[in-house]
Amino acid sequence: MSAARIVFIGGLLSYRALFNWLNPWIFIPTLVLLPIFQILLFAFMGRQANLESDQFFVIGNAVQSASTPCLWGMTSAIAGERSSRTLGLLLASPAPRVATFVGRAIPVIANAWIVSLISFAVGAWLLRVDLPPSRWPAIAVLVLVGSVSCTGLALVLAAISLRVRDTATLANSMYGVLLIFCGVNVPLAALPGWMPAVSAWLPLTRTIEATREVAAGASLGHVGGLVLHELALTSGYLLLGICILRYFEASSRAKATLEVV
Amino acid sequence: MTSTVEVTDLCRSFKTSTGLLWRSHRTTEAVRDLSFSVERGELFGLLGPNGAGKTTTIKMLITLLLPTSGVARVLGIDVARDPQAVRSRIGYVFGGERGLYERLSAADNLRYFAELYGVSPRSQRTRIAELLELVDLSGREKERVEGFSRGMRQRLHIARGLLHDPEVLFLDEPTIGIDPVGARQLRELVVRLREAGKTILLTTHYMLEADLLCDRIAVIDKGQLLALGTPTELKSSVDIGQVIEVETFGLPQTAIDRIETLDGVRTVTASVRGHLQLLVVQGHPGAEVTGSVLAAVDDQVVHRVLTREPTLEDAYVALVGGS
Amino acid sequence: MNRVVRAARLVGVVWYLQLRMFAVSAFEALMQLIWPMIFATSAFLIFRVNGDRELLIFAGLGASAMGIWSAMATAASNLLQEERWSGTLELLVAAPAPLALVLAPVALAMATMGLLSMVVTLLWARFAFGISIPVADISGFLVSILVTIAAMAMLGFLLSVSVIRYRTSWALGNALEFPGWLLGGFFVPLAILPDWVKPLSYVFAPTWGLAGMRDAAAGRSPWLQCAICVALGVAYGVIGLLLSKRLLTSARRNATLSLT
Repeated sequence: MSAARIVFIGGLLSYRALFNWLNPWIFIPTLVLLPIFQILLFAFMGRQANLESDQFFVIGNAVQSASTPCLWGMTSAIAGERSSRTLGLLLASPAPRVATFVGRAIPVIANAWIVSLISFAVGAWLLRVDLPPSRWPAIAVLVLVGSVSCTGLALVLAAISLRVRDTATLANSMYGVLLIFCGVNVPLAALPGWMPAVSAWLPLTRTIEATREVAAGASLGHVGGLVLHELALTSGYLLLGICILRYFEASSRAKATLEVV
Repeated sequence: MTSTVEVTDLCRSFKTSTGLLWRSHRTTEAVRDLSFSVERGELFGLLGPNGAGKTTTIKMLITLLLPTSGVARVLGIDVARDPQAVRSRIGYVFGGERGLYERLSAADNLRYFAELYGVSPRSQRTRIAELLELVDLSGREKERVEGFSRGMRQRLHIARGLLHDPEVLFLDEPTIGIDPVGARQLRELVVRLREAGKTILLTTHYMLEADLLCDRIAVIDKGQLLALGTPTELKSSVDIGQVIEVETFGLPQTAIDRIETLDGVRTVTASVRGHLQLLVVQGHPGAEVTGSVLAAVDDQVVHRVLTREPTLEDAYVALVGGS
Repeated sequence: MNRVVRAARLVGVVWYLQLRMFAVSAFEALMQLIWPMIFATSAFLIFRVNGDRELLIFAGLGASAMGIWSAMATAASNLLQEERWSGTLELLVAAPAPLALVLAPVALAMATMGLLSMVVTLLWARFAFGISIPVADISGFLVSILVTIAAMAMLGFLLSVSVIRYRTSWALGNALEFPGWLLGGFFVPLAILPDWVKPLSYVFAPTWGLAGMRDAAAGRSPWLQCAICVALGVAYGVIGLLLSKRLLTSARRNATLSLT
């Protein structure tokens, strides 16, 4: 019971405290306008390059837009504890670690899902991409899967950011990796030889593929394999993130490195 | 011969609005009908509690804020009409850690501002070296400011304010947040500057500092002038005689009330200091109250008694507390 | 005359010291270079799929110049906020030098970082993707680049003074980056943009600077485009100057300079 409270209430409170992007003056430019402009940028590039359709770019970029709130939200939520010097207090409290940090993930996922859906809808509307209403529920589910999987990777990054000072660079670089490798703007098959091997190990790759299939008329059941594969990968990342967190916590008690800003 | 700084009926109000939908507007009078003047070569103190209007006054004098009404002249120039002429002849230094480019070295910070103040390229190098020497930062000039202590930053700030050899220097709480040794170094520096003939307007809320440094002091509160004079004048202007400090334990309120009614007692303040109680009794001028106060307090509970002359702080408390 | 020399010296010193500040933070400087390269890489990947050489060169050149705008959009919009946070904004205003003469070289330093990003991206295009951009008229090409940098600095100056009241202007800066790439025709010719955005493209100096670069690369005359780019830069500068004057008067009246 108390673990559940820590997950939900603690997570939400800390999210609001540490991630100031919910302020509309930040939220609208970075989490609404920016993803929409990214969709337009690549859709026009695709038109110019005669590559794929507008729908292809709307899906790829809208699903990937979840990564901005995930990567930034998760790293700020955890690294922020360090820079505001509350991490020590948190670790000194008897609250269960895993619940505490996983609690940080839930508002991140919710935020990412909303961001992704908004950019999806507005992008589709601006570019006159016609998707039958019957396909939207399945798309919404897949977008949620994308947000979850991206948060798994973000937890790993956040754990690393306990040790690395420059979390902004870390988050930005990972954003770039996802943009380039996950088949957001180029079909995986058209990437140079070694690149798809990297894509296979990244979140979002399979979600984007599944969403494109569903938008083209496939059922959720049809893409079940992709979704399961994505969720398995996500659990892997979550586990890795928790292991790194635990390791850093243990080693920091020995070496007092967590409070160093 | 006009005064170096001349402030006449100066007022400044701020409009603040709160609320998103139903905005309510409020006008705060930060400075009200303030008048004073600072003579050439004088070290003038502006003293007052937080929010008294000290910084607002300084910002009007250094041309960052326009007065709502009234006139302020620096070196005979109206600060509202001709800001540019004022800017090149005054220096401004504020306390705290901000106001420097962290990523630049101390010398580069000075170069940057030397350029902004139009210090001629030929004299820049020697001027910067001189100032680094003056503020005791020679040898550290190549280091980046991010690694500087607060005291070092503050001294660098002063060097920055002196780059163009201004006739008047405005120092806004320069010793705030600095350790005692650093603050002492800084005060010595201020004394040297006055000896070099600068006119200095200093704001502070450290009484000791004002008492030590200032030729004259203006005490302001809620934007208004409460008193003006030399530290000695201020101390005697407030009618305090002897001050008795009594350290006691567990003195009942009735005893305190009794002391208040004693002949010759002006005010009594009681405060807790650790497990002790500190009683500060201010007497009327000329009254001898030590005996009667001690008689009123049971011998058993007295820990220590101290009789002293009133300090500037007593005068300040009497002025600001009584306003 | 003396005043002009002084002003030029001021611009030079501020520009130099600002670049030194960028150089100190290696991580941030690196990100300034890497961020546009991420998008350039995406563009190269998109345009190489169909193997159209001409399209690849068109996009390759634009992608390389992208950093010039992104450096400006993100850094300039946050310029005054940063000065405000570090408490130096008041000191700049209290100094006798005109604020515009301080802000313009800072913006120029940012644009210079953009130039560096262009060089790095051109090398990246050449060595990682084998895209070499043939330049027929080297001097015209270089002049176009310099003119673009100068106009961008003026735009950055204008941007920085326009958003002073916006507390989290870095967020706005982030959102401006992609639209700028679209409007300026960095990857796609203006012809395929909707008609209603074209006027915006025409008053956006990089549009002309980039057209100048492309013309010079193809051996056509870039001078008209360069002239328009310069004219727009001057216009930005003048508007920025007027705005900064108004801003300072209003700041003295309403006490909006300091954060506290």
